[in-house]
Amino acid sequence: MNTQDDERLRRLLRQAIAPCRRRELDTDLWPRMLRLLGSRPAPRPWFDLALAALAALGLILFPGAIPGLLYHF
Amino acid sequence: MKPHPYLRAYMAGIVVPTLFIPVVFTAFIIARFVYRVDAPLERIVIFPVAFVPGLWGLWNMLWVALHSRRRLPLGLHGAITPLAFMPLGLLVARTVGFEIPGLIPTMIAVVLPVAVILYYLIWKHVVGFFNELLGIA
Repeated sequence: MNTQDDERLRRLLRQAIAPCRRRELDTDLWPRMLRLLGSRPAPRPWFDLALAALAALGLILFPGAIPGLLYHF
Repeated sequence: MKPHPYLRAYMAGIVVPTLFIPVVFTAFIIARFVYRVDAPLERIVIFPVAFVPGLWGLWNMLWVALHSRRRLPLGLHGAITPLAFMPLGLLVARTVGFEIPGLIPTMIAVVLPVAVILYYLIWKHVVGFFNELLGIA
């Protein structure tokens, strides 16, 4: 491939691919990232914790149910 | 909404049971070959390995399909799952010739309530997280 071919290829590529107009983002994303890092996860509702405890109690009292549960996972 | 919502829903739905397959399989193998449980467990392992992940994916797709019409919370939608899966699991066990003497009353009394609770929590928190991650919820 000679220099003329290279130049032609560059021209064709420029024609085919539109130049990128916006080179920068509208807003700075770093403050949002910092806010996300600083935010604490939402607390689990007490109802869900009570249900989890109930399920754990059920499995402790009836360990024979564990194979049946595993079968359905 | 992002494109291909049902495909996303399927993928989000199969994550939990797919991660659970090695656990289930290991439990079955240990029971059968280490503790010499006198039951052909290899026959019924087909249900958790081959059926359950796909069913979870389809169930999540159903939630996405119904979500626009009916606002049923994801946790409650997931809590219904054992009611549909358990008869199917029993049917598969029976089809492959696995005897389950006296297990059905125990299942209804103990396994079903615990399964409903666990499914509710898993669907609400884990599948919900994956749905959010994939832009479905």
